[in-house]
Amino acid sequence: MNVIEHLSQKIVCPLQFGGIDLSITNGVIAMWLAVLLVTVFFWLVSRQLRPVPGKMQNLAEVLVLFIRDEIGGQLGDTRDRWLPFLAAIFTFILACNLLGLVPGVASATANINTTAALALIVFFVVQVVGVREHGFFPYLKSFIPEGVPLPIAVFMVPIELISTLAKPFSLAMRLFANMFAGHAVMFLILSMIVLFHSWLVVPLPVVGDTVFLAFELFIAFIQAFVFTYLSALYIATAQEGH
Amino acid sequence: MNATFGAFLAAGLGMGLAAAGTGIGVSILAAKALEGMARQPEASNTIRTSMILAIAFVEAIALYALVVCLILATKV
Repeated sequence: MNVIEHLSQKIVCPLQFGGIDLSITNGVIAMWLAVLLVTVFFWLVSRQLRPVPGKMQNLAEVLVLFIRDEIGGQLGDTRDRWLPFLAAIFTFILACNLLGLVPGVASATANINTTAALALIVFFVVQVVGVREHGFFPYLKSFIPEGVPLPIAVFMVPIELISTLAKPFSLAMRLFANMFAGHAVMFLILSMIVLFHSWLVVPLPVVGDTVFLAFELFIAFIQAFVFTYLSALYIATAQEGH
Repeated sequence: MNATFGAFLAAGLGMGLAAAGTGIGVSILAAKALEGMARQPEASNTIRTSMILAIAFVEAIALYALVVCLILATKV
C-alpha cells in the first residue's frame, strides 16, 4: 500500500486522439461532477430571484458578494468585469476540493496536472491583460527595473523573468501540495490499522482521521480563497501598471 | 550506508526542518495578528483575513519541502 499509488488517478475509459492521450480518468469524472454541481446550484438559484432572498439564494448571494468585494476589491472599478472569471475559479476549486474529501470520489486538485492547468490559465490571462493595457513594448520594458544603472539592470532582467514564472508555479504547487498532503496524511493515519494488525487499534485512527477531516474542510475553503485572491492580485497589478 | 538509507534519512530530516521553520513563522504571524486585533478590535475582520492569507503563503513553503521529501521517501 503506497501513498502515491493510492492518490494516482485510474483510467476509466482509454481514449487516444492521434497520439495524444485523452483518457477519461476518475479525476476527470470528479471535475465534471464539480462543474455539474456548481452549475446546477447557481442555475436553480437564479431561476426565482426574490427581493427577500430564501436560504439558497442567500447562500449564493453571500458567495458572489464575498468574491466580488473581498477578493475582487483589489481590482477597483473593474470588479464586475472580472467577477465571472474569479467566481468560476473560486467555485471550481472549492467544489473539486470538497468533492475530493468524499470517500470514493477522486480528488482532482490533488493532481499537479489540474492545478498546473488552472495556474497556466491565470498566467496567460495576466500576461494578455498586461499587454492589452499598456502595449507590447511597454510590457517588455517592464522587466527592466526603473532608475537602475545598466550593469545591474542587465543582471535584474533574468531575476524579473524568474519571478514572473515563479508566480504561476507557486500557485499550482500551493494548491496541489495542500490537497495532496491532506489526503496523504489521512491515508497514513488510517494505515496504522493495517500496520498494527489488530482490532483494538481501530478507534484511535478513526477518531483522529475524523478530526483531521474537519481540518481538511477548513483547508479546502482557505486554498480556494488564496488561489483566487492571488489571481486577482496579479491581474490588478498587471492592469494598473508594473 | 547505501542510497536508500540516505534517501529516507534526508526525507525525514528535511521535512522536520521545514516544519520547524513553518512553526516559527506561523507563530510570529499569529502573535502579531493577535496584537493588532487587541490594539484595534474594529479592524479584527481585516486583520484575520490578512493573517489567513499570510499563513497560506508560509505553509506553501513547507509543502514544497513535503513534496520533495515524499519523492525521496518513495522513489528510491
